[in-house]
Amino acid sequence: MLETISALAMPMVAVLVGLIMMIGKKDYFAAFTRGAMEGLKTAVRLLPTLCALLTAISLLNASGAVEMIAGWLAPAAGAIGVPQELLPLLLTRPFSGSASTAAFTDLLSRVGPDSFAGLCASVIFGSSDTVVYVITVYCSSVGIRRTRWAFPCAFAVMLFCIFFSCFLCRIWFA
Amino acid sequence: MLGKIYGIICLLALLFGIWNGNAAALGGAVIDGAAGAVQVTLSLCGMMCLWCGMMEVLREAGAIRRLSRLLRPLLRLIFPRAAQTGEGLEEISANVSANLLGIGNAATPMALRAMEQLQKHNPKPDRASAEQITLAVLNTASVSLIPANLLALRRAAGSPQPYAIMVPVWIVSVVCAALAVVLTRLIGRGK
Repeated sequence: MLETISALAMPMVAVLVGLIMMIGKKDYFAAFTRGAMEGLKTAVRLLPTLCALLTAISLLNASGAVEMIAGWLAPAAGAIGVPQELLPLLLTRPFSGSASTAAFTDLLSRVGPDSFAGLCASVIFGSSDTVVYVITVYCSSVGIRRTRWAFPCAFAVMLFCIFFSCFLCRIWFA
Repeated sequence: MLGKIYGIICLLALLFGIWNGNAAALGGAVIDGAAGAVQVTLSLCGMMCLWCGMMEVLREAGAIRRLSRLLRPLLRLIFPRAAQTGEGLEEISANVSANLLGIGNAATPMALRAMEQLQKHNPKPDRASAEQITLAVLNTASVSLIPANLLALRRAAGSPQPYAIMVPVWIVSVVCAALAVVLTRLIGRGK
């Protein structure tokens, strides 16, 4: 039911826009192409940034660093109430949407989607985003080079999100 | 800052790659990364065209103005300067709505347009203004009423109750979004 509503949200907006174009008195199609052109320019401007960022992330994924660091952190994670199975997800989440989706899918298939670790992972996956990607894209799209306190704040929020998710799952699904 | 992050990631990757004996894979990864950037840009081009075009139609028809008037009480708390000048408020409203509806690929175009509008009032164009930082960090908390992607992945993994995590996800993302706003604004006030 909810998924149907969500799946319909996008087509509904498209239909609404179509209706406006059909009934409206102004030349709304011209407005569409004008807006689309602006959007296209922004997207193209992002390619140089994405080229650098995705190359670095691709290197990181190929290096095997995530598996290694996850191995080191495993004992510490258990001690502070974060299931150690979550580590590959937590280490990839800030950098890469595709790598963290892969880590999440892998985790669900290994420990089960409704195990404690699976539930914690689901809540974290649903309430966090690819911090480095988002801030880099947002800032470089308007030519900002100095991001000031954006990264420290975003990482602090993400860290809080991890602990809070595990804590909430512990009492919610007890 | 972006340069530093790029440098740190590359250096880490090289050290770990050699250590793990994956050095041979790194060469391929460089090429994949650069090619991947083109793919991401291509799909982003489509999304940006579509959503920025639709946004322009909705703006001309006055729908976005109505939406932003609806969200104004909330947005005035989060983006006081933008609420005062009015610049960027419509884009921010569209971004917040797209996030709430779970239309993730519309949220990015709206946010990028909002960044452009906020940039007009940015006294130093090469560094982020306080409200731009709040907008960016807020978008990393991903508040969504229906986390469709997550539900699909849980269902695909064979969960008998994919929805069980909905309320905890709402609680965590709302708390994290509030924390993002409070944190960025507290630091912004001190500077």
